[in-house]
Amino acid sequence: MLVSEVRGVLKPPCPALDVHVHPLNCFGPYRLADAREDARRLAEIGKRSGVEVMCVFSLHPECPREPSMAQCREANDYALAMRDAAPDVFKPFCYVTPEFPDESAAEIERCVAGEQMSGIKLWVAVRASDARLDPIMEGARSTGTPVLQHAWLNTLGGLTGESRPADVGDLARRHPDVNIIMAHMNGAGLRGFEDIADCPNVFVDTSGGDPEAGVTEAAVATLGPPRVVYGSDAAIRHFGTQMGKVLGADLDAGTQRDILWNNAARLLPPWAGVEPLEGDAA
Amino acid sequence: MIVDVNCFAGHWPSRHLDGSLPAVRDSLRALGVDLLHMSPLEAAWNRNPHQANDALYEAASTFEDVRPVPVLDPTIATWREELGRAVARADVGLIRLLPAYSPYALSDAEELLAAVAATGLAVLCQTRMEDPRRQHPLAQVPDAPIADVVAAAERHPTLTFIVGGASAAQARSLSGSLRDLPNLYADTSQIDGVDSIRLLVEEGLAGRLLFGSHAPLFTPYAAVARVVADIDDSAAGAILGDNARRLLD
Repeated sequence: MLVSEVRGVLKPPCPALDVHVHPLNCFGPYRLADAREDARRLAEIGKRSGVEVMCVFSLHPECPREPSMAQCREANDYALAMRDAAPDVFKPFCYVTPEFPDESAAEIERCVAGEQMSGIKLWVAVRASDARLDPIMEGARSTGTPVLQHAWLNTLGGLTGESRPADVGDLARRHPDVNIIMAHMNGAGLRGFEDIADCPNVFVDTSGGDPEAGVTEAAVATLGPPRVVYGSDAAIRHFGTQMGKVLGADLDAGTQRDILWNNAARLLPPWAGVEPLEGDAA
Repeated sequence: MIVDVNCFAGHWPSRHLDGSLPAVRDSLRALGVDLLHMSPLEAAWNRNPHQANDALYEAASTFEDVRPVPVLDPTIATWREELGRAVARADVGLIRLLPAYSPYALSDAEELLAAVAATGLAVLCQTRMEDPRRQHPLAQVPDAPIADVVAAAERHPTLTFIVGGASAAQARSLSGSLRDLPNLYADTSQIDGVDSIRLLVEEGLAGRLLFGSHAPLFTPYAAVARVVADIDDSAAGAILGDNARRLLD
């Protein structure tokens, strides 16, 4: 098989909507002049693997695990600038920290209600089972936007503030009217899926870790096909290797298409302008 | 022709896999892989990994496109006989070392490496099988140090070494050694991150990278996608097969 033929075999059957993307200035291999240049390079890199739309969130160039609110605001301004540079590609999420619940609620008001960001991002400062997330979840509920919460079931123990899937399940039961995207399918793994199986408002993104065979099939079997969405964790990970978790999985073409686009498209607010693909019956 | 220098067949103790040789072969052939250099997956956890080679030899004999890659362990007293069995077979061009799983330090394998060098076979030294964060809590295996492979390649200039399982950051850290040591190569099976292989190619290392899938632990689609997405056909062709054919045929 020629390389050109291999490219044909790998070509995704539909455009991909990636719910988990960081700017190149967070984890990428390039030093860039500004958010506009970041947007241009990242859009071009994603397009090579078939990614047309990205939910992007900055964790600040220094990626502090316990950021100040000033760092969150700086990160969000950067993501907004990327959105302004390529609004059809980048649907920014608002990065906040439960260490500062009231200030986070205000930042959600500024960025989601005001600037029409498409979701909220939570990382590793505070576990999802902590009550300090409640004002943030109220911001998500009132704006009708999803919350993307980092989670890992880490054999090595993980960070103090790092959520396990069980923490995300707890959060989901406290806030059943908010859609939560639990990041890192492979981080949750075969045990973590069970922690959120009974939470219909929790979706899992395919990012996190290596493209281990069989894990996507297990997520679909445990959670049901509509609760799995494509996420890459680029720039840490490669758009194509993470897409391999979907297109290399033993799943029918309709399920693959739903994971790559439709399931996530239904989670985003109307102002994101992302519609399910034609022919989607759900 | 696409040549996979780093795949396995068999079972893995901590999760279910369809790891039979025909299943792995089919999954790779569906993406255009024409030749598979394959090791027994059970060897990692077998207290005598040589025992796992027999079943692979037998299963591989059915397929002309599967080249057995036996696992050798210098801490097993009969490693010379095991190497002799590999050398006697026309279909073996490569042996695999799993130092982290035996375990042993590569510096303690000097006699074995010298013996392999005398045979004309090449060595793939696997530095990682699983992300440590995803391992079973009672079966933690640290990575084998990549620096040890570089040091061994320096000590044995006539022996071809392939680093198996380097991450993107590790591969970048290897770039100087890959340029300086004509007998050192790296496989692509665990090089992730945006533009990682593109950047290595831009450093002039297209000739030093070999396609590896890590199947059946990883999905083959991801293995091929990471190579072809970001580089031109010429560089992709070299990594996917031309380099391996030059080395191992």
